[in-house]
Amino acid sequence: MTVQRHPDTVGGFRRGDEMLRVEGIAKTFEARGVRALDPVDFSVANGEFITVIGPSGCGKSTLLKIMAGLMPPTEGAVMLNGSPVTGPREDIGIMFQQATLLPWRTATENVILPIEIRNGSKVAKEQEGRANELLDSVELKEDFHGVYPHELSGGMAQRVAICRMLVTEPSVLLLDEPFGALDELTRDYMNEELQRICMERDATSFMVTHSIPEAVFLGDKVMVMSARPGRIAEVIDVDLPRPRTLDMTTREEFGQIVRRVRKQLDVGGMG
Amino acid sequence: MSQTADRKQEVARPASKYGFEESWLDRTPRWLSLLVLGVAGILIWYGITLLEVVSPILFPGPIETFEEIYLSARGILSGDHVFEALVITTQEVIWGFIAAAALGFFFGVIVGETKIGQKAVMPYLVGFNASPKVAFAPVFVAWFGFGINSKIVMALFIAFFPVIVDTAAGLASTDRDTVMLFRSLGASRWQTLTKLKLPNALPYIFAGLKTAAVFSVVGAVVGEYLGGGKGLGELVRLSAQQLRLDRVFALIFYLSLLGLALFAFVSWLERRLVFWHKPEPLEITSA
Repeated sequence: MTVQRHPDTVGGFRRGDEMLRVEGIAKTFEARGVRALDPVDFSVANGEFITVIGPSGCGKSTLLKIMAGLMPPTEGAVMLNGSPVTGPREDIGIMFQQATLLPWRTATENVILPIEIRNGSKVAKEQEGRANELLDSVELKEDFHGVYPHELSGGMAQRVAICRMLVTEPSVLLLDEPFGALDELTRDYMNEELQRICMERDATSFMVTHSIPEAVFLGDKVMVMSARPGRIAEVIDVDLPRPRTLDMTTREEFGQIVRRVRKQLDVGGMG
Repeated sequence: MSQTADRKQEVARPASKYGFEESWLDRTPRWLSLLVLGVAGILIWYGITLLEVVSPILFPGPIETFEEIYLSARGILSGDHVFEALVITTQEVIWGFIAAAALGFFFGVIVGETKIGQKAVMPYLVGFNASPKVAFAPVFVAWFGFGINSKIVMALFIAFFPVIVDTAAGLASTDRDTVMLFRSLGASRWQTLTKLKLPNALPYIFAGLKTAAVFSVVGAVVGEYLGGGKGLGELVRLSAQQLRLDRVFALIFYLSLLGLALFAFVSWLERRLVFWHKPEPLEITSA
């Protein structure tokens, strides 16, 4: 199946090509003598959305940090766009549970922060227009561009954080429970938004979550992990058409996949 | 006004059952409660002097004190010796404060930003901060003489610990996820410091500066008590020796105004610079 690529994505890659490969990544925290992660292998195709779910302490956040180049693995390697990840990289976008906006910068100024750090204030200033277009695209219209974070709701703040992640046009998005601190209604809405954004850009995404319905709703594949030491228990394909709607979450097909994830979690969690 | 009153009647809750009804104190505006308490305090003070349980020489009443405050004010305005003393003490306080702010900030950043600073230097500073720093005053007189310099150094010495400790604490309070975000963006240490940690530490730094504003007056006055000074502290000491406690009270009033003025200036600067963080009005800061 060939799908026409969005024009402004990283050159040379087609949907389905391997974008990211995790090769036998394992992590031991020597100081505490804790084995956080047993060797983990998987790959993420271009344009694919992978969600990871598992009990606390299954090493999923550790895995994400290693993939982001924020933490060295004890064993193994992460390959992105054909080269190993050995530190923070421009083609990786990252998002956390907290919006981590700087309260002394307006929405627009927060969005251009990555450019300012990498290319200096002058280049960043020139990109303000593009930052504002991004904000517009997540329904933060003109009135909100000059607003400071303390005037934004939790959902709005996370939308600014999404724009900040997208502004450098990364080839992979690493999301660490991005909507975990939001109330459920906002969270549902943000999940739909995230799906729309990822579909528009054919984004390659890897998201850690604690919510089974969220994992199923967003993922092309749900990776279920088990704890101590963390390893992949099962990878479940989600064959639901996109765009998925919240209405679909009440249907039988959705429920079946949720039950499968639940069952796998119960086995891993108890065992 | 009347609308809210109407609504209150409309609701007509069964009062007192819950034990957290809005009391009349909640509805009293702040300025009124301050005024009432102030007037009450002065009346109690006056009442105690009327009882004459203490000799009026040792415990002057509000009338004598206010009279002395008024006389001093006239003296200050006409440029007499009280005015000269005020100028000298103000100089000691301001130079002491500026030096404390600059040095405190500098060392605070070093302590907060380096591992050695956090692990080894900070505990010593906290310990030093707990020591009775005024006890060092004779040392500074020995080192810097009886002139204005020893007073400035004393003000600096007392005032700069809170700035160091609060600056370092502010830097350490930076949200870990945001630090991680900066790392993921490939930010240099300098960028992380100037674009994230220092702005984040500003509310802490200002808390330290406000403490320093008050402490620098303490330092200057203690320095003057040890002698050789020509400032307000020296006048307090002389007036107390002459058992003119009404004058002592008046001078302490002006010293408090000096500290309050510096405190107010720092608070004003804070509101301008730290616009995203709103401290409570009249926020009390710890030493």
